[in-house]
Amino acid sequence: MALNILVVDDSSVMRAIIIKTLHLSQLPLGEIHQAANGQEALKVLDGSWIDLALVDINMPVMDGEEMINRLRQNPATEDLPIIIVSTEGSESRKEVLMQKGARFVHKPFTPETLRDAILRILGGLDEQKAGDGTLQGGYPNF
Amino acid sequence: MIHTVGVADMKISAQKGDLIITHALGSCLGIAVHDPVACVGGLLHVMLPLSTIDPEKAQRNPFMFVDTGFPELLIDCLETGALRQRLDVRVAGGANSRNREEDDFFQIGKRNLIVLRKLLWKNGLLLKSHDVGGNISRTMSLEIGTGKVTIKSGGQMKNL
Repeated sequence: MALNILVVDDSSVMRAIIIKTLHLSQLPLGEIHQAANGQEALKVLDGSWIDLALVDINMPVMDGEEMINRLRQNPATEDLPIIIVSTEGSESRKEVLMQKGARFVHKPFTPETLRDAILRILGGLDEQKAGDGTLQGGYPNF
Repeated sequence: MIHTVGVADMKISAQKGDLIITHALGSCLGIAVHDPVACVGGLLHVMLPLSTIDPEKAQRNPFMFVDTGFPELLIDCLETGALRQRLDVRVAGGANSRNREEDDFFQIGKRNLIVLRKLLWKNGLLLKSHDVGGNISRTMSLEIGTGKVTIKSGGQMKNL
């Protein structure tokens, strides 16, 4: 099954990094859509089937938190797997978003961290088998 | 057959029964590359990040530096029958030479890892797994038949 993925970030450079990581992750990719803010992302979701969304939080026009709230209120997207890719440091804000079913990858991230988060949320990487690709040793983000 | 990789050295094999091993990885990097379909693999033991500090030495022995050794490892594996899109890349080592990272003035281990990270991104490769940092010495081995990579450190052994 090919995965349609939506990448939402106001930085085009960050979107390019995320998309390159997706291609390197050997996932069965279908269409990759991009949006620069939450409002653009909701429009994409209205017109296309999306299997996974990678979402930044701090964006102009509509931020990631508002976007996720709207997705969860819509029966068509309430179960959409979401990974937040953000510099957000507030534990309480992260907790609120994770309670809405989102996973979190902190910027800056290594491509392997993002790959593993995607595989986990899609059920392709067993949490118990953390040996593969998981960070070990003294440099957690080398 | 067991092949031992010395410091600033590399070995490649396409023999299923072979084991390639390297010892005493401190701030040096052990980089293992393996194609599970072609059963081709190689192990590199590099010492320093960039060849720009001594290009003549790098020409004599490219396996001394990450920026010259890693491309050689990839090229030799591909020429022996591996395919880039099937390659599993694993790395170990890159330790601090002092107990505390901030006391390690030259930070060779960390700089080795940064150069490797750039080369991986440039070549479109992701790490399958890694065991890096700390201030320990590691022994790394690669089984060509299975692709299994083992790390031995402080009397403990684990699969990478």
